[in-house]
Amino acid sequence: MKKEKTLLQEFVKGIDEINPVMKQALGLCPTLAVTVSAINGIAMALATTFVLMFSSLMISIIRKLIPSQVRIASYIVIIATFVTIADLVMKAKFPAMSKALGPFVPLIVVNCLILGRAEAFASKNNPLKALFDALGNGAGFLIVLFIMGSIRELFGSRTILGFHILPHSFEPMLIMILPAGAFITLGLLMGFKNAYTERVKRKEREDIVKNYRAVSKLESTNQGL
Amino acid sequence: MELLIIFLSASIVNNFVLSYFLGICPFIGVSNKISSAFSMGLATTFVMVLSATVSWLLFNMILVPYNLEFLQIPSFILVIASLVQFVEMVIKKVSQPIYRALGIFLPLITTNCAILGLALLISMREYSFLESIFFALGAGIGFIFALMIMAGIREELELTDVPKPFRGAPITLITAGLLALAFMGFAGMI
Amino acid sequence: MKIVIRMILTLTIIGVVAGGFLANVAQWANPLIEANKKAETEKAIFLVQPDGKSYQQIKNTNFEIYKVFGENNELVGYSIAHEGNGFQGKIRLMVGVSSDLNKIKQLEILDQVETPGLGTLILEPPFRKQFSDLSTDPKVNLVKGVEPSKPNEIQSITGATISSKAVVEIINKGIEKARILKERGAL
Repeated sequence: MKKEKTLLQEFVKGIDEINPVMKQALGLCPTLAVTVSAINGIAMALATTFVLMFSSLMISIIRKLIPSQVRIASYIVIIATFVTIADLVMKAKFPAMSKALGPFVPLIVVNCLILGRAEAFASKNNPLKALFDALGNGAGFLIVLFIMGSIRELFGSRTILGFHILPHSFEPMLIMILPAGAFITLGLLMGFKNAYTERVKRKEREDIVKNYRAVSKLESTNQGL
Repeated sequence: MELLIIFLSASIVNNFVLSYFLGICPFIGVSNKISSAFSMGLATTFVMVLSATVSWLLFNMILVPYNLEFLQIPSFILVIASLVQFVEMVIKKVSQPIYRALGIFLPLITTNCAILGLALLISMREYSFLESIFFALGAGIGFIFALMIMAGIREELELTDVPKPFRGAPITLITAGLLALAFMGFAGMI
Repeated sequence: MKIVIRMILTLTIIGVVAGGFLANVAQWANPLIEANKKAETEKAIFLVQPDGKSYQQIKNTNFEIYKVFGENNELVGYSIAHEGNGFQGKIRLMVGVSSDLNKIKQLEILDQVETPGLGTLILEPPFRKQFSDLSTDPKVNLVKGVEPSKPNEIQSITGATISSKAVVEIINKGIEKARILKERGAL
């Protein structure tokens, strides 16, 4: 039987093990589109997390009441409702940010990440677990968007979160804030992440082999005695 | 003339995939074969034009006159979902070969952000009915372009020696970046 | 049959609850959104008319134009809000003109979705400052590659000719409309 995960584990897995962008390649549109600056990335990730959290919670609460034939339609309506709320609140309270993100706030509704978590997790687990799963995935999304935004802002406008980091003698790389730069940055980021994961895994395997050798050597010397 | 500019701008200069980042999921997922890329693009274009028409009517005939703009997102996504379902049913009845070619892609289209993005952009930019249709056509054809060019490149990419960690999504993204750069060359056209 | 009824019932309930909930949120948000927009427009009206102290919108026109008054309630000029197509989407701007419509005072870009780093240079002072004290008689002219030599000329941004051209065209059209109003005596 599969071991039950604790709430903390449900949270942590979203950051690394099943990171929405890096591992599942979900939610790529906003990752590429809004990360012209770090602050935009953070705002987008927070809005997405808000929607993910409340819709996961809601779906998990009413999961037993929805007939399975209309579940996707129901999920979409629930998600669209929370997205509209997020959109209206942003327009009312943070007009400048809402303008910067443009149509990508309403487009959270078709972010496969949210429907994906609803279908794969929230519809099968209790509300508390669904909440932590949503928070974990949101955090994973936030980290990626923040890193993407920082890299692009740093090389594209010399700043991170508006603070000057690179000297004025550094010529800003225009490509970084253009669409092309977004694709290339994310591609490199994913590649390096894969390479790193690969190395960690190989190291682990080597360690196991080493331990095994050491143990078997010990045993053979024991037999020799 | 205005219509032609809208069409060209949506299809080439401001390509939906390469400069608005709409429809990235199928772009990365389905673009390994030219033939399936074409089918997917065609199905998407069809749904795009249809949903742009219906959502334009819905927004300008019902939501705006009754001050229900806040229902825009839920109603648009429902319209798209039911349209996709409807198209699937019709194609299944009318032609089995087409259904076999397009059928598997149709459910994917519902969560394709290019469709909803198109509907939202149309209402944001306050396009007229005719402008909306040309915009949708341009976006669809641009999508087919991007998908097929990408598929062509990826078919060749399979034969090359890409470093292992970069295989799959990473190299596809980097290729898309170079493609986006190439499409920037069209910028001065209009 | 029973399942069909249950399906329809579930969707209807979710729809009604969601719709009702959204209606409430919208009721709360809409006035705030309106207020934001108004505050933004108001700010821009005075930004482009540095001597302005109060303003009044001119009614019955097909575009936005505001009479701006100075300290002693004298007319200092007009602020014209106008929009048009840029490179990727709409550009909306506010331009302050003198009371005879022959001189631009300041220019503010309100909304734009131009290419970052190229088209967005229309927001930056080097481009925008060119419009201060620019003659609009004859209409504003865009030059490319050479230094502006006439009082009605401004220089295009390198690599963003379309955006620069769009801004100039939007201004010219706005002032044109204002001139027609003036001829009719509606100003």
